[in-house]
Amino acid sequence: MSAGYKAVSWTRSKILYDVVLIAGIVAYITIFFRFGALPGPDGLSPDAPTLAMKAFGSCGFLLLTIVLAIGPLARLDRRFLPLLYNRRHFGVITCAIAASHASAALGWYFAFSDLPPLKALFAADTSFGQVSGFPFVILGVAAFLILLVMAATSHDFWLTFLGAPTWKSIHMAVYGAYALVVGHLALGALQDARSWVLPAVCAVSVVTLILLHLAAALSQNATDACIATASSPPWVVAGKLSAFAEGRAIVVHLADAEPVAIFRHDNMLSAVTNVCAHQNGPLGEGCVIDGLITCPWHGFQYRLADGCAPPPFTERIATYRLALDGDTVLLDPQPNPPGTYVEPIRVGSPVA
Amino acid sequence: MTFADLVYWCGLVYGGLGLGVAAAFLVFGLDRVDRSARGSFAFRPLLVPGLVLLWPVVIANWRRLLLRGT
Ligand code: HEM
Ligand code: FES
Repeated sequence: MSAGYKAVSWTRSKILYDVVLIAGIVAYITIFFRFGALPGPDGLSPDAPTLAMKAFGSCGFLLLTIVLAIGPLARLDRRFLPLLYNRRHFGVITCAIAASHASAALGWYFAFSDLPPLKALFAADTSFGQVSGFPFVILGVAAFLILLVMAATSHDFWLTFLGAPTWKSIHMAVYGAYALVVGHLALGALQDARSWVLPAVCAVSVVTLILLHLAAALSQNATDACIATASSPPWVVAGKLSAFAEGRAIVVHLADAEPVAIFRHDNMLSAVTNVCAHQNGPLGEGCVIDGLITCPWHGFQYRLADGCAPPPFTERIATYRLALDGDTVLLDPQPNPPGTYVEPIRVGSPVA
Repeated sequence: MTFADLVYWCGLVYGGLGLGVAAAFLVFGLDRVDRSARGSFAFRPLLVPGLVLLWPVVIANWRRLLLRGT
């Protein structure tokens, strides 16, 4: 947690995550160079720059697919949660791989032009009119620019400086980048693909991502207790008490307001905003550790009763009032100012 | 001037201005708009790429935060 921008503390799991990620990439590129250099059906072996372009391009595409799959996977099954940590490093590394692809591609594609490659890129076919003539490279460049802006604004400073809504919309643009890359492939490499591998990888990736996002959306709707229904004002129904499991939260989605996470800990209920003060992580998907709500993304912690981070940290999040009507949990959707103490509601005897 | 030249020169000018804004912001702006940055220096180079890419946004936010008096 931050009381000022100190270097993020490197924990063992973060180092492990980066080591696995980088080792995976190195292995992929190595294998690609080993087997990709074999002669194709036409008896020709690709030259080294082409091979590098293909290795880094496909690696970037796969990394982008994985990073987009992590979100819905973690929502579907909590065991994927650890993959959510450090998505920032994942993004920055993906951007670096895309940059290697672009520089290899520029070196190769325009090797026969006497213009500097970056200029040749835009001097090359600019027939935006028809689909087949549309310069697929422009789509790649646009995708790369999005990845670059995302990587460049990944430091926490940018979240404070730009404000959470702007920052979040910048980072949602990763879906746009993915669509651009798919266009980059569809209009470029897939037009004259001589093997089935790239079209197959591309199709499987896109279909998998769509299915995962659909499944995650459906399962969220299925846990129906989550959608707040009206009760006598100001209260809304958050759900049946039996739906609240010890040590976990239920996330209540309100119309036109931030979702609220209601935690049951030691048989007491407390409600806080679902939005972490650090980078808007989903607090309700985290758990209670040492009596503190622990964000699943980077582990910021907050006290249950007043939403304050334990000293020396200074973050505070909004709390909410709760009430019990028989076995129905009621929530006042009006947030208290961040850090406001709300007496937790006892719903059973303390857990030993 | 071809389309390619135009893109090239626009990119160059944009990046050059961005470097200027980045330097000015790191020296004069950061401490005044973001209290948590005071006394931390190691992370500043990390901000340069973003400052160069987004310099018009940086100027707008810098102004807004100064006017608000943080
Ligand atoms: C400045 C940005 C980019 C440039 C100049 C660029 C350029 C190229 C070029 C010239 C090709 C060859 C197409 C062909 O074989 O017909 C290519 C293919 C490809 N690009 Fe890009 N690209 C860029 C960005 C990206 C990004 C951001 C990604 C994904 C993260 C990407 C993924 C790919 C893939 C997977 C291929 C197919 C490789 C293969 O044939 O196996 N590119 N790109
Ligand atoms: S700890 Fe980073 S978003 Fe919560």
